[in-house]
Amino acid sequence: MLIEKSSDWKEGFIERLENRQSWDSWTLYKMSYDIAKQNLITDFSGLQSLKYVPTVTPLAHQLEVAERVIEEMNGKAILADEVGLGKTIEAGLILKEYMIRGLVKKALILAPASLVNQWVEELHQKFHIPAMLYKKNYELDYVDVVVMSLDTAKRSPHKEKIYAQDYDLIIVDEAHKLKNHKTISYTFVQNLKKKFCLLLTATPIQNDVFELFYLVTLLKQGHLGNYDSFTSVFSGSKRDVDQDNYLKELVNQVMVRNRRQDTGVKWTNRQVQVVPVEFTAEERDVYQLLSELKHVSPVFSDAFSTMTLQREMCSSQEATLGTLKKLYAECSTSEELAYVNDVIQRLDMLDIHSKAEKAVEIILNANDKVILFTEYRGTQNYLHEYFHSKGISSVIFNGKLSKNSREWIKHLFKQNAQVLIATESGAEGINLQFCHHVINYDLPWNPMKLEQRIGRVHRLGQEHDVHIYNLAIQQTIEDHILDVLQGKIGIFEKVVGELDDILATNY
Amino acid sequence: MYPQQIHEYLRQFFNENKCPIINENEHYLNIQLTIDMDKKIMNRPFYWKYIESVNETPNPAQITLITDIQQLKEGVKGEVVHFGSPRLHQLFRVTKEMGSFVKMYEQVHSAPDGQMILTPWLGVNYKISYCSHQTKETLYSLGINLMTGAVFQEFQERLTKLDLVKDSPEQVFNLPYIITPVRALDRLDAVVDQMVREEDQTWAEEAKKRWQKDQAVLDYFYEGQDEKPECYEIEKNAMEERFKPRITIEVLNGGLFYLIGDHARSQMHK
Repeated sequence: MLIEKSSDWKEGFIERLENRQSWDSWTLYKMSYDIAKQNLITDFSGLQSLKYVPTVTPLAHQLEVAERVIEEMNGKAILADEVGLGKTIEAGLILKEYMIRGLVKKALILAPASLVNQWVEELHQKFHIPAMLYKKNYELDYVDVVVMSLDTAKRSPHKEKIYAQDYDLIIVDEAHKLKNHKTISYTFVQNLKKKFCLLLTATPIQNDVFELFYLVTLLKQGHLGNYDSFTSVFSGSKRDVDQDNYLKELVNQVMVRNRRQDTGVKWTNRQVQVVPVEFTAEERDVYQLLSELKHVSPVFSDAFSTMTLQREMCSSQEATLGTLKKLYAECSTSEELAYVNDVIQRLDMLDIHSKAEKAVEIILNANDKVILFTEYRGTQNYLHEYFHSKGISSVIFNGKLSKNSREWIKHLFKQNAQVLIATESGAEGINLQFCHHVINYDLPWNPMKLEQRIGRVHRLGQEHDVHIYNLAIQQTIEDHILDVLQGKIGIFEKVVGELDDILATNY
Repeated sequence: MYPQQIHEYLRQFFNENKCPIINENEHYLNIQLTIDMDKKIMNRPFYWKYIESVNETPNPAQITLITDIQQLKEGVKGEVVHFGSPRLHQLFRVTKEMGSFVKMYEQVHSAPDGQMILTPWLGVNYKISYCSHQTKETLYSLGINLMTGAVFQEFQERLTKLDLVKDSPEQVFNLPYIITPVRALDRLDAVVDQMVREEDQTWAEEAKKRWQKDQAVLDYFYEGQDEKPECYEIEKNAMEERFKPRITIEVLNGGLFYLIGDHARSQMHK
């Protein structure tokens, strides 16, 4: 057994014996002993941190997570509670506990740029942890708890500065950003020493089961076997229920996931519906022409551009025109140019987009605050203008806004505007419990993006039932997207666990 | 710690450090810091450097500490102090720093038959931390008689029952120690070491088991690879840091104590 001793006290004692320093006060001596006795950690298990954070009242499920991660999982875990259950509180409790117990001195928190300020504030206010926001030219030697955006951290020279430190705990927020093992982010985190490590994500699987494999492997190499053995057992068509259950069990050894309904907190309901929309005859013509483009010119021959145009056509003329004009510039023969030109003309002549009309109908019916998510900036502007013409006030929210503007727009939405028109990246991490209508104007390929969107409003503090409208134009690529979404939800539920309704409420 | 306990602690701390309490009720304290205390806790070295270099009259800070915000009705503005707040833990650290070494004499009120003899003792309070992936702490308070070498446990508890003073009372004879304090300290260190080694080691075995299990999982991942990549070594080291059981022994505080012998004490009370 390794026993470490320090001789600091002995040296001080000798100085006093030799009258080189004066003796201390008996009262302070006794006080010091009493404090030490009172603050003594007498047990290996249990949470000390609660005494230290009297302003935080964690919910039962948050306490359970903190205890389980520390006592059973040895401080290495994926925290995968559903959106809005307070993963930050759980991570804060665990960090605080380790700091009190002296097991963590230095900690690194990696979060999306839009959330770093929130982390610093919460750690200060709720947990009294002196976290610092990383700034360029910072000397990391003198900062014990640092919050950084993952995108900054993974690049030189920051990367090297981090590797030179010796962090005891690494926290990665929105860890689904590490799903792809070929990215710089993944490699960066892989090469960090992880004495203790927390990966926070509500959506550990977004598309396929390999994302979970790589996430778990990042945390604990070998836990799901190596790539070959994993592939041979869990991928492809050979999978059966037994294997899924086995995988689930393995995953649960390193992952904690609370669902809203298990929390003991009363949750409002989610009313989710797919709202079918019909194209007008003119719109359908244009959609057909766009789908034919791949036969007209090699510029459009890859499946991706066709699909992009189709999806954009399901969103707005503006979104479609942007891409189409770019590709037009690449066309060369007069035949191609004429065809594309014709499509552009027709697009210009189209009336109000059918989906936009449907959106207005929903907003007027709701007669309340609404968040509308779209995938395209062009559509954002288009809807903003169209809503304005209908007398509906709206504000635009996207990833290009600065921190201050984000707060300002959020404020405007709360106070004045009826509709917040947001893109995915814009809405990350913001909490809007005062609103309970969400329109998914465009559907993403990834069901977890929908879950993240809904999570902006369906979280602790929501007092009303939440209404979700998923708009899909019939007989277009959006039918296909709905199928894909359904399939991915199926995989998630088999391996990770049940999901709250995302696409439609099952009655 | 309850608000009242914290309040009492703060009062005592500032009183002991000669910082006048200007205003207070049960829920807050308004304190005038001394120059020394300002330097210790207000974290403004540049101010003090400046004041001292231009020889200006120093103006140490006043602080208001609120110990129970819920009960406070007076509308006092100040720093809210509770268990876990950085200010309180800073003061805990200062207390520890300023209460590390003492030399105390037992007060003698009446010497029944002439001169009283005081026996020298070394008392040391040890804090032991047991660390692996989890932690636990214990305190050992040991005292050693510097005449006989006899060692007692729970020494601090004995001391707090006595009336101790900073200066040797008159009309007492303080026995010169036979065992030097430094040698006695080495002796106590050895005693603590022995006590720690004889304790239940289940926690360490448990940690080693978890360590071995994780190591096996990691090795399985790289099975058949002769040249293991860097991240294998990183993870292996992380595992060692996480699970390797270790014990640290730290002296919290300690001192020299001149005490009435047990024999003399019993006679005194007759």
